[in-house]
Amino acid sequence: MTLGAAVTDSAAGGAAPDLSVRLFGRTFRTPVWPASGCFGYGREFAGVLNLAELGAICVKGTSVEPWEGNPGTRVVETPGGMLNAIGLQNPGVDHFLSVDWPWLQQQGATVIVNIVGRTVEEYVAVARRLEGSGVAALELNISCPNVKEGGMAFGTTARGAASVTAAVRRATTLPLIVKLSPNVTDIGEIARAVESAGADGLSVANTLLGMSIDIRRRRPHLGNVFGGLSGPAVKPVALRLVWQVAGAVKVPVIGIGGIMTGEDAVEFLMAGASAVQVGTACFVNPRAPLTIAEELARFMADHGYRHVADLVGAARPGLGTGQRGDGAARTAAGSHRGAGSPSGVPAGRRASGEAAESLRQFLKDADRA
Amino acid sequence: MTPWDAPAPPTHVLRQAQARAEWVTEQARVLAHEGDGEVFKLTLAAPEIAGRATAGQFVQIHPVPVVRPVPVVSPVPHGAPAIDPLLRRPLSLCEIRPEAGEISLIYRVVGRGTRVLAALQPGALVDLLGPLGHSFPDPAAGRGRLVLVGGGLGIPPMAAAARWAVQAGRPAVAILGARTARYLAGAREVTASGVEVVTLTDDGSAGERGVVTDVLDRLLNATGTTEKRAGTTEKWASIGEVWACGPEPMLAAVKERCAAAGVPCFVSVERFMACGFGACLGCTVPRAGGGYLKTCQDGPVFPAEEVVLGGL
Repeated sequence: MTLGAAVTDSAAGGAAPDLSVRLFGRTFRTPVWPASGCFGYGREFAGVLNLAELGAICVKGTSVEPWEGNPGTRVVETPGGMLNAIGLQNPGVDHFLSVDWPWLQQQGATVIVNIVGRTVEEYVAVARRLEGSGVAALELNISCPNVKEGGMAFGTTARGAASVTAAVRRATTLPLIVKLSPNVTDIGEIARAVESAGADGLSVANTLLGMSIDIRRRRPHLGNVFGGLSGPAVKPVALRLVWQVAGAVKVPVIGIGGIMTGEDAVEFLMAGASAVQVGTACFVNPRAPLTIAEELARFMADHGYRHVADLVGAARPGLGTGQRGDGAARTAAGSHRGAGSPSGVPAGRRASGEAAESLRQFLKDADRA
Repeated sequence: MTPWDAPAPPTHVLRQAQARAEWVTEQARVLAHEGDGEVFKLTLAAPEIAGRATAGQFVQIHPVPVVRPVPVVSPVPHGAPAIDPLLRRPLSLCEIRPEAGEISLIYRVVGRGTRVLAALQPGALVDLLGPLGHSFPDPAAGRGRLVLVGGGLGIPPMAAAARWAVQAGRPAVAILGARTARYLAGAREVTASGVEVVTLTDDGSAGERGVVTDVLDRLLNATGTTEKRAGTTEKWASIGEVWACGPEPMLAAVKERCAAAGVPCFVSVERFMACGFGACLGCTVPRAGGGYLKTCQDGPVFPAEEVVLGGL
């Protein structure tokens, strides 16, 4: 079933909610995107879903040269979650451009390329290779160890995060999203530093560092000892980080962390995210990004939300009480934050006259319902 | 010269005879579920997967229907999401019966996921992805006698392999070993396929006392000789291939013996995996010559010389 069908069949009546979101100067079909590292380059999922129906695909972290990945056990399940230490295995940006990207274009997919590097120069090199390719955006994974700084991850200091962001900003005209690390003391400080360095959006957040021990063999489960925790176990932490970052910056925030259902996605949107990414859920249910988008549409229809933007930040103080119509009211007042462009000019907002008309129509529909 | 005396095709040729079906998602009803508290056999009505699968492939199973239908009318916006256990569990297909639309799986309770699985009652719905991965090579593509080596929980997939060999008219013998009698689960299903079976246990509680490589050595040493089996007119052909599934040290030992004897060997390996269909890159096995292969997609059945065993 297509999203449109799900929404049209809605038993709640009234006009179908509009799942499309406008971010970085373009329209995304839905705000629920598969997260990088959990969707490969899309091929593995093409048999069970239509890639063109996804709002976007954040493809596997891609480096300038192929990366081999980590030895030993790479994944292990933990309560309500999983640890991974894949080591960013990927075939490199040239392989992506010659093999995966043409195929993804044939599928009609909207693609955000997650880029990784061991030095600032490597990040810049990947960004340069992608310039002019037609991908929708770059997503900078700054959780990689910086080999020139003793292996400390770029994303764990404001200075490191800003320096790699600024360098890539200079190398690309594509929208630049920076995926923040949650393994930091003050994520707000890093978010502001990255925004100042030219990021157009922030993904919040990458996996939480964790570990697990095989007590029968008396050794860590993972070959890498530590790994990234993901899945429902991290959701409350990720939600808190989204809330903090959305309160600290003006650029759009993309919420990530343990989203398994449409209701989980609503929580992230209400915390201030303008879109969400779905990672671990894709491993359990390969159709998860579509199912969650359909569930989001269902929630919106049932609760009188017509546009995704009406949910964004809805739980934040001063931005409404979550009552029907509040979202639209905020839209009309232009007070909604989170979907703005770096210049502060709201990007993806309807013109205020159009919004006011939309509100009138909405309230009329709400009265009828 | 009989067809069986012709030289066996090399492994890389046989590799091309490994099936890799398009996988599907399927909700399957539990038809029967029997076990002794530790080792269980789960029989499922799964016509889609039964119709596509070949021996050596596996399914990813979740004890709740996680690929949930989109509710069109219900005000409840979602079905049961999977929280704990979160991920599916990969289980090799033991029996594949397309004519009945049934599959069976044999597993041992080793942790939370399999413990939840063990509580399933007949009539319950489980969620499957499958068939996943590469099968053993098509027995019709090879020549010579097939030796199936199963160790412990590596025995169940040999039931599907044995049935496939019999259907292809390929002579086969199965060598099945385990620590003790209770871990010989699946041996009955292998025997039911009609191939000759030798069973062994470490403690002698069932079959011969000993390990599978003892018998494999005897067979490999007899390779090249043509004997007449008592009571049959069929000629015992030289060994064409060895297919093995079991603990990794056993696989390494089988691989070593086959390499020494110059017999093509296929091994089915086991890894933790998150997705099972090639997306997570979590289930890698080191590739001979460097890099990694995905157990779920490039395997789980590999030509033995392609992989480095004993790495975990």
